[in-house]
Amino acid sequence: MTVPPSSAWTPRFGFRRSPSVLPGFGLTMGLTLTWLSLIILIPLAGVSIRSAGLGWEEFAMLAWDPRTVAALKLSFGAALAAAAINTVFGLLVAWVLVRYDFPGRKLVDAAIDLPFALPTAVAGLALTALCAPNGWIGSLLDPLGIKVAYTPAGVVIALVFIGLPFVVRTVQPVLADFDQDLEEAAATLGATRLQTIARVIMPALLPPLLTGFALAFARGVGEYGSIIFIAGNIPYRSEIAPLLIVIRLEEYNYAGATAIAAVMLVISFFLLLVINLLQGWNRRRSGLAV
Amino acid sequence: MVSLPRAGGTNGIHDEPRHRQPVRIDVEELGKSFGSFTALNDVSLTVRPGELLALLGPSGSGKTTLLRAIAGLTATEEGTIRFDGEDATALGLRERRVGFVFQQYALFRHMTVFDNVAFGLRVRPREERPRAGEIARRVRRLLQLVQLEGLEHRFPSQISGGQRQRVALARALAIEPRVLLLDEPFGALDAKVRKELRRWLRELHTETGLTTIFVTHDQEEALELADRVVVMRAGKIEQIGTPAEIYEEPATPFVCEFLGGAARFEVEAREGETDVLGGTFPIESDAGYSGPAIAYVRAHEIEIVSREMAEGVPAVIRTVRPFGPTITVELSIEGRAERIEADVPRELYDGGEIKEGQGIFIRATSARIFPAG
Amino acid sequence: MTDVSLRTHAAFSSPVGERIRTRAALTVLALVFLALVLILPLAAVFTEALRKGAEPFFAALVEPDALEAVKLTLIVAAIAVPANLLFGLVASWAIAKFEFRGKSFLVTLIDLPFSVSPVISGLVYILLFGAQGFFGQWLAAHGIQIVFAVPGIVLATIFVTFPFVARQLIPLMEAQGTVDEEAALSLGATGFQTFRKVTLPNIKWALLYGVLLSNARAMGEFGAVSVVSGHIRGKTNTMPLHVEILYNEYNFVAAFAVASLLAFLALVTLVLKSALEWRYGGELAASGRH
Repeated sequence: MTVPPSSAWTPRFGFRRSPSVLPGFGLTMGLTLTWLSLIILIPLAGVSIRSAGLGWEEFAMLAWDPRTVAALKLSFGAALAAAAINTVFGLLVAWVLVRYDFPGRKLVDAAIDLPFALPTAVAGLALTALCAPNGWIGSLLDPLGIKVAYTPAGVVIALVFIGLPFVVRTVQPVLADFDQDLEEAAATLGATRLQTIARVIMPALLPPLLTGFALAFARGVGEYGSIIFIAGNIPYRSEIAPLLIVIRLEEYNYAGATAIAAVMLVISFFLLLVINLLQGWNRRRSGLAV
Repeated sequence: MVSLPRAGGTNGIHDEPRHRQPVRIDVEELGKSFGSFTALNDVSLTVRPGELLALLGPSGSGKTTLLRAIAGLTATEEGTIRFDGEDATALGLRERRVGFVFQQYALFRHMTVFDNVAFGLRVRPREERPRAGEIARRVRRLLQLVQLEGLEHRFPSQISGGQRQRVALARALAIEPRVLLLDEPFGALDAKVRKELRRWLRELHTETGLTTIFVTHDQEEALELADRVVVMRAGKIEQIGTPAEIYEEPATPFVCEFLGGAARFEVEAREGETDVLGGTFPIESDAGYSGPAIAYVRAHEIEIVSREMAEGVPAVIRTVRPFGPTITVELSIEGRAERIEADVPRELYDGGEIKEGQGIFIRATSARIFPAG
Repeated sequence: MTDVSLRTHAAFSSPVGERIRTRAALTVLALVFLALVLILPLAAVFTEALRKGAEPFFAALVEPDALEAVKLTLIVAAIAVPANLLFGLVASWAIAKFEFRGKSFLVTLIDLPFSVSPVISGLVYILLFGAQGFFGQWLAAHGIQIVFAVPGIVLATIFVTFPFVARQLIPLMEAQGTVDEEAALSLGATGFQTFRKVTLPNIKWALLYGVLLSNARAMGEFGAVSVVSGHIRGKTNTMPLHVEILYNEYNFVAAFAVASLLAFLALVTLVLKSALEWRYGGELAASGRH
């Protein structure tokens, strides 16, 4: 079947496509791009136009305001710490779920997605109730002089909850697909179990671990609902960047809100780029047939 | 492509002072089951030192389980495995020191060819580990042995299937194994590479002198390559013997059918004898047996006889495959739905007597008879 | 290949893995971690909600403002989920069934809302439609209210749930290829018939899965909705926002009662999601991150 050259070229959208007999490319692509632009792209572009409208000096003044810097530091620092914790425990959980059999394994596996399904506000409320000085966990820690609720530690705890499934769900399929012959080969060649894990299994798990780390980190930076209850929101101490945006908006300080948002967006886009590169790497590594 | 360094060349892997004697393996009453499935049922077997042994059987016959049990990769519930009399079942994988080549090679994809081969040396405890220079020297020599010089820095994804197979072999040999075990060594290769690697493996075995066991489901591969063949079925050994013994004197109907190329006839035996295709043959396993029996006749055991001879069975030539030194024809005979194959001398074909639709008379020159049931 | 399946089965009792004690220790460690991070917060929600017994619990749920919040949440989900369902179908048809340049870039754009803080997702609409926004004056002149009203809440919800259906369908439809559709077309089906009778049955479970996840997020979204809602009781309060208001008023039992309703919704989502995965795992393709 020959396709007239005119249909292989859709100049309206600038996407050159290979010939296909299936109908509807123009229509569906047109709708996709229109909808995408209206809902996502144009509104997001608004932020950059706003911040561009501020001029460099005003932008720098707003973005480098000490309270903003403290909030950004907390958001990124806590997200980093939580992502690191989740990388360790996410690997452990994925390992146990994939490798070991125990009663209720399927149930536990299903429960991993709870943070995806539970509304963030509910999570925040629950963690606060647990960690407050009179809560189940808080009352144990309080006599030891450890305060979690209303401190940066509380922010990290909320982000550990939010980020856990990202690491588990990225590592799990790679570990499940991991060829057990490779471990047996290492063992017959005289490697100890630790050597096998370090030299044979970990190199294969590195890309998904990094991807999971980056995903959890990216999510943590922008997280709002689960944190604001537990953090106590003390300026300069336990106030996160997204909350500061909300506060600026409530003050009708659109410029201030936009500046913080712009800084966060730039860093998020950079992260997104890194995640995409990592996932490409991940696919290539695991896609190689040997 | 894969021509081998001359046997007895200077690049043997054991030019270290401690040249090892090949190991004898005794498998005694080995049993293994997976849930309700019995993978190995009371298997006993002696592998002679320096022997190249094939484990032959269909899927699920237990051949791979037996190989993995010898390697220590699968724990068994009953029985013992001895290496030179020493109980290997008490040894861990590391102490057993077997070279194992996996069906899909199991090369470490994030390591180069060099690093793959060096792996077994590098993971040794510090006091036993050779120095880097020594490791490099040994890896080079092994790569030379398997003819992969110059590919040291490639990754497994960058070399061909046959080359990966040889990397896997070099990697297994690097630990100076006591025995070499190969799981379907040619299973993942195409026909042409298979043949070349088969010859090469035979020569490599001569070179290393290691007691070597390989698993295969391909009877041609087993018969062509091995010193002795173990035919397995449903977790038990059906027959152990040299390729000639297995081929000429199959011990059971299963072995006969698994080797293939034989037509099966259901016949009646009278006092240890039975008539098949115009011939009369004894039941060797049970002289004096009377009752239903099964007879197997191979293609080359059928001859064409002239019309005058009384014993001839009438047949019609259905197809002719005129390739090679003998001509294979498919025949149909009365009272039998399946066609049978017969090899006929080329002269007959050249003489124009063999053509499709031609009626002829045939007779079996030899047959294997087993009591039925 | 009986040998192969037997081997994977045997692999867990193989001499190659960790020792039984190590396994037990790792399993216990993982389960304790999961109990602390996932189960305890969930238990806390229900415990706190029922702290004063069943009566205040149900009273909090049937109170008029709570009912209004439930209603609004249902309305928002009823608009946002079908909108994203349609978009997901249209976009995945264009992206998965055709080859064109810039495809992976387009997919990245669709994924953008995952990488953007929910607060920023709300902010962008304030910048567009707020009193000081680009269209603010024009909207005010024509008496149209978008932010601090239901349309803003719907828009923000569509923004944050935008990728859910599409990213579930695209990998699956790419894996399925175009052969079935080409066969249907060659047999004389129209384009729409082909889609309805050939494509749709192949993707129905993945579609349902995407809708499920998108619905959970739509009903539970907090950050984005919080920014655009204006928090007008009984008017622009969704359930998660109502939880926050009650909590800030120190009405803890009521806050946790509404929260427990949301947590229950999350559990139902998890159960349905797991049921889909267990039953139709093969037809869902890799679920990946959400």
